[in-house]
Amino acid sequence: METIIQSVFSGILMGCIYALIALGLSLIFGVMNVVNFAHGNFVMLSMYFTFWAGSLYKIDAIFSPIITFPLLFLFGILVYHGLIKQTLQEHYTIQIAVTVGLMTFLGAITQLVWQARPRALAYSIVQGTIRFGSYTIALSRLISAIISLIIIMIISYFLAKTWPGMAIRATSDDSNAASLMGINFQRTYALAFALGSGLTAIAGGLLMTFQQVDPTMGLRFGLLSFCILALAGLGSITGLVISGLIVGISESLAMTFWDPRARTLVIYLIFILVLWFKPRGIFGRK
Amino acid sequence: MNFFKEINLGKLLILILFIIALGIPYVLRANQYQVLLATTVLLYGVMATSWNIVGGLAGQLDFAAFAYLGIGAYVSGTLFIRFNITPWFGMILGGLVASGFALLIGIPLFRFGIKEVWYALTTSALVEILKVAFNMWEKVGGPVERCLPYFSGSWQNMRFVSYAPFYYIMLAMLVMALIVNQKITNSKLGYYLKAIGEDETATEVLGVDNRASKLKALFYYSFLIGMTGGIYSCMYGYIHPSFFNGPESTKVAILGIVGGRGITYGPLLAALLLVGAQEFLRASLGGEFSGLYLLIYAVIMVIVVLFKPRGIATIFQDIYRKFVVREVKNKDVA
Repeated sequence: METIIQSVFSGILMGCIYALIALGLSLIFGVMNVVNFAHGNFVMLSMYFTFWAGSLYKIDAIFSPIITFPLLFLFGILVYHGLIKQTLQEHYTIQIAVTVGLMTFLGAITQLVWQARPRALAYSIVQGTIRFGSYTIALSRLISAIISLIIIMIISYFLAKTWPGMAIRATSDDSNAASLMGINFQRTYALAFALGSGLTAIAGGLLMTFQQVDPTMGLRFGLLSFCILALAGLGSITGLVISGLIVGISESLAMTFWDPRARTLVIYLIFILVLWFKPRGIFGRK
Repeated sequence: MNFFKEINLGKLLILILFIIALGIPYVLRANQYQVLLATTVLLYGVMATSWNIVGGLAGQLDFAAFAYLGIGAYVSGTLFIRFNITPWFGMILGGLVASGFALLIGIPLFRFGIKEVWYALTTSALVEILKVAFNMWEKVGGPVERCLPYFSGSWQNMRFVSYAPFYYIMLAMLVMALIVNQKITNSKLGYYLKAIGEDETATEVLGVDNRASKLKALFYYSFLIGMTGGIYSCMYGYIHPSFFNGPESTKVAILGIVGGRGITYGPLLAALLLVGAQEFLRASLGGEFSGLYLLIYAVIMVIVVLFKPRGIATIFQDIYRKFVVREVKNKDVA
């Protein structure tokens, strides 16, 4: 019983970060109906940037988003204008091909620059564990989960209340109508894409407080966030968080009770089953 | 007149290329390593050509090429190791099992209307699922390599001392894949698939059974690749979960897109150029640039997709058309 609770709890903590990663993907997909296959590699890239910031300039992983967020934000704008914008009107095969190309490119370049061996930061100011009776929780994971939730809430406020946020929502509902109402949809698309990739910077920083990074991670985070997106459907941030938690908990339970190797297996199985039986997601609005 | 000319010229070109392909092992005879590399080029040619049926004609971006290859390899390899069944037979069985598996996945996928992005995502998840599953499945070896028994050079069991026979087997496979591809392209099914690739909803409205057509395409594709899997396991002499290779599956799709979706020889062309260059670099530079070639692939893919979305084969088509048209014009003048 204790093992179950412990495992569920660590799953919940991971799930919050997963939800943050998937939020970025969901923004991009919701607004311009483009699935960014490179999303997982964006996370990996920002983890490597965090690693650089930490090892070269001694910036703590938890504060690194101050640098990596603008970096990834700019990168997102560049990618949008350089690649995505050119293919918006094209056959979906072309759209996917472009982001797959980007994914392969980022995967290869990380392998060239940082080599295949795993990298981790030596320290973070959030360290140690907290004990609740017989349960232990790593402080870094707890803090990361809390920060993820706060960021998700900020984004949800941004989407609900601010003008650019409302522009994003309007464009995602109907881009033609939105542009007739005076919304510059090109700029909105760029903003959504940049924000989506900027969020991976925060997630990457949080992950680096307790994890290492290696070049195979991109694919894992990518498929993981697709799974959460498929579960959540579009348009509901609460649904996204719950789906993140579902994925986090099932991954954690699979690791504890089945086989550590089964963690990805469980995620992909959920993904495929959800696609089969609930193609619009469990919490989908559209 | 023009029609006959086109056929003859095309046939002549194919014949010349085929003769060159036949001669390659003789040129490289001294160097087994290079024959292996040439065989690898052909392997990707087979895979990209088969991919063309689903990814090119039907427009379903499939990233699971190595899933079917791995299944084929495992079926034929395990049958050989455990029951001493010759890979010649196991290969066909492997193809059948691979296509059975593909249909098992494909029927619910198409039943629930999963297409476009979601199809692409599902298939790329498939490779990873199988990799993990075969890692955990101890009966067929788990994470340990299982070697195929080696009776020195017995052709009955597809075990050869040199790589040249594998080269010819792969060449035969390639010819088969090309013929199947060409036959499908010119058949009713091919026209259905092309229509599906352009606009699925419109095709459905016109009364085409989308689901059946896509399943047939999936069957041919996975059967061809599953059979290739049998050869693959014999060529390398072992079976291992690393056969389920995600990045390489993506590479097959890249070759198909770069070559030209729906053009029979397009993916083969891309495989010859890109994989050929890659293996040539590997042979001359060694393994130092192992990460570099994927980078080059990605860049080429993005450039081709942005500027020549129909693939590099269209460049050759344009040149060819210009050439033929000019000749006809000259004749008219004369």
